[in-house]
Amino acid sequence: MKSSLPPLSKDWQLTPPWTAKHLLMGIALLALLAFTGSRLEMPRMFKEIGEALGYSVGLTEKSPVADGLARIGNSLFPIRIAEVTEVSRIENFDRNKLPLFARIEVQETKTARLNTETLQMEMGVEEKEMLVEPFGYIKTVLVKMGETLEIALWATVLSILLSIPLAYYAASNYSPNKLTYFMSRSSISLLRSVPELITALFLVLAFGFGPIAGVLALALHAAGFLGKFYAEDIENADRKPQQSLEAIGAGKLKTLWYGVLPQVMPQYVAYNLYILDRNVRMATVIGLVGAGGIGQELKGRFDMFHFGHVGTILVVIFITVLLLDQFSARTRKKLL
Amino acid sequence: MLKFHSVSKRFDDGTQALSELNLEIPKGQFCVLLGPSGAGKSTLLYMTNGLVTSTTGQVEIGGKMLNRANIKSIRRTVGMVHQQFNLTPRLSVAMNVLSGALPFVSYLRAAAMWYPLALRERACALLAEVGLAPEHLSRRVAELSGGQQQRVGIARAFMLEPQVLLADEPVASLDPKVSRDIMALLRDEAKRRGTTVVCSLHQPELAVEFADRIIALKAGKLVFDGTPEQLVAAGLDGIYQHDAPKPAPTHHAPHVAPQMLEALA
Repeated sequence: MKSSLPPLSKDWQLTPPWTAKHLLMGIALLALLAFTGSRLEMPRMFKEIGEALGYSVGLTEKSPVADGLARIGNSLFPIRIAEVTEVSRIENFDRNKLPLFARIEVQETKTARLNTETLQMEMGVEEKEMLVEPFGYIKTVLVKMGETLEIALWATVLSILLSIPLAYYAASNYSPNKLTYFMSRSSISLLRSVPELITALFLVLAFGFGPIAGVLALALHAAGFLGKFYAEDIENADRKPQQSLEAIGAGKLKTLWYGVLPQVMPQYVAYNLYILDRNVRMATVIGLVGAGGIGQELKGRFDMFHFGHVGTILVVIFITVLLLDQFSARTRKKLL
Repeated sequence: MLKFHSVSKRFDDGTQALSELNLEIPKGQFCVLLGPSGAGKSTLLYMTNGLVTSTTGQVEIGGKMLNRANIKSIRRTVGMVHQQFNLTPRLSVAMNVLSGALPFVSYLRAAAMWYPLALRERACALLAEVGLAPEHLSRRVAELSGGQQQRVGIARAFMLEPQVLLADEPVASLDPKVSRDIMALLRDEAKRRGTTVVCSLHQPELAVEFADRIIALKAGKLVFDGTPEQLVAAGLDGIYQHDAPKPAPTHHAPHVAPQMLEALA
C-alpha cells in the first residue's frame, strides 16, 4: 500500500503486545496442569464422561457412570409430596377434624402369622387406617426451608453488624494505628479461613443442636468476607470528598459517614445480597451437622434411604435459590 | 488576620515547595495567588488549614498560631472550595451543603442525617443565594453541571461562617463564562460577610478582574505582591516565563482577555 504520510525514522517500531516470557509462562501453566491432572485422575474422568455421553446417544455398550446416575435419578424421582401416617400412631386423633385436603384410606397388608393351634404359617390380611395428606410432606419441607431462610437472614444481619467495626479498623486510612489494623486484618482472615461447617460442628457442641449454632457459624464466616470487602472499598473510595470534610475538621466517623459511605453503598448492598444468597445455600449444608433447618431433614432422610424425600428437598432448595437470585438481581437494580 | 511567618515546606521527595515565605493578609481581603504549576500555591493554601504542615515557620490565623492542639478548632473557622468541587456525588445537594456544618452537629444527628432547624434553614438560604432552585435540593450532586456543583461547593463552604475561605483553583475545570460567574459569586459572598479569601488561579485576567490583591509565586518564592493595576503595569513575564532563553508557549495564553494582552503589550 502506498502511503501518503511522510516516512518516519527507525525509532518508530511497534512490537507485539506479548513476548517470549508470556509464551514460556503459558507452557509452564500447561505443564503444571498436566502434572496435577495425572495426579487427580483427570484422564479417567474425561474418559468416563465420554463413555456416559456415548451411552446416552447409543454409541457405547455400557457405562458404569451412566448406570450409577440413572440409579440415583430413579430413586430421587418421583419426588415425595404426600405424607402417609398410620392413624393409630397419631396421638389425640380426631376423625371429624382432619387437616386440609387430608383423607383417611384403608390399607390392606398381607402378613404371615403363626397359628398357635396348628403351628402353621397362615397368610392373614391386616387392615390399617392411614391418614393421607396429599401435600403433607411438601408442607414439612417448606416449613423447614422457612427455618433455613430465617437462619440465613439472621446470620446475614449479624455478620453485617460484626463486620462494620472490623472493616473500620481494617481500613488502613481509618484505623487508629498499626496495631489495630493488624489485629483487625488478622481476625478477618481467621474468620474467613475456618470453614463454616467446622465452626458449626464446634458450636453445636457448645450450644446444642438447633439454629443458634447455625446462625453463629454462618455469621462468623460471612463477617470475615464482609469485613475484608468493606475495608477494601473504604480504602479505595475517592479521596476528594473525604479531604474536603477533613479540611473543616469534621472528624473521622462523620467523614466516613458522609464522604465514604454514599460512595460505597451500591457495592455494600451487592455484597450483602451475595452473602444472603450464600448463607441460604450454606444454611442447607450446615444443617447436616445438626445446626437446624432443612439440612437436618435432608440428612435424616438420606440416612434412612428415603430418596424420594431427598428429591423433594433438593427441588425445594433449587427453587428457593432461583427465586432468591431473581430477588437480589431486582433489589440491586433498584438500589443502584 | 492571616499571617505566614517565614514558612517553608520541603516534601519527603526533596521538592522545595515553599521557601521562607512571609505574608500578611488583612481581614476581608480577596487575595489571589498566581503562579505556574508547581509554584507552591496549593501548598500555601493547604498549610493554612493544616492539611500540609510547614517544615519551618508558622501560620497565624485570627491571632492564634496553628499547632496540633488547636488544629481542629481552627479548621472550623476556615472554609474551603476545591478545584474538583470535592462533593460527595451520590449524596443530595442539600446533604452536601449540610455536611459543611458537620463539626457542629452531634454524632446522632449526623448519622440520622437530620440537622437542627437553624442549619436546615441556613442551608436553604445559602443555596438560594448561590443561585440554585428548590428543585435542586433533593437531586444528587452528580446530576448537576460543573458550574452548579461549584455553587454547591461554595454554599457548603459558607455553612460554617468561616473567617477565612481558601479556594484552590475553584474555576480550573469550568468554561470561561461560568468561571467569571463563579468568581463573581465567590467575591460577592465573601465581601458581604467580610470573609478573608485566599484563592489560587491559573487565569491572570480573572485575577485582575476580581482580586483586591495579587500575590505571585514562582518556585516557592514570592515574585509579585500588589494590586491588579500594579500587575498589569508590571506584566506577567516575571511570573510565568521560564528561565529558558526562548519562552515556551504556555497553555495560559488562550485564557488571557484581549484587554489584558493590550495592557501587556
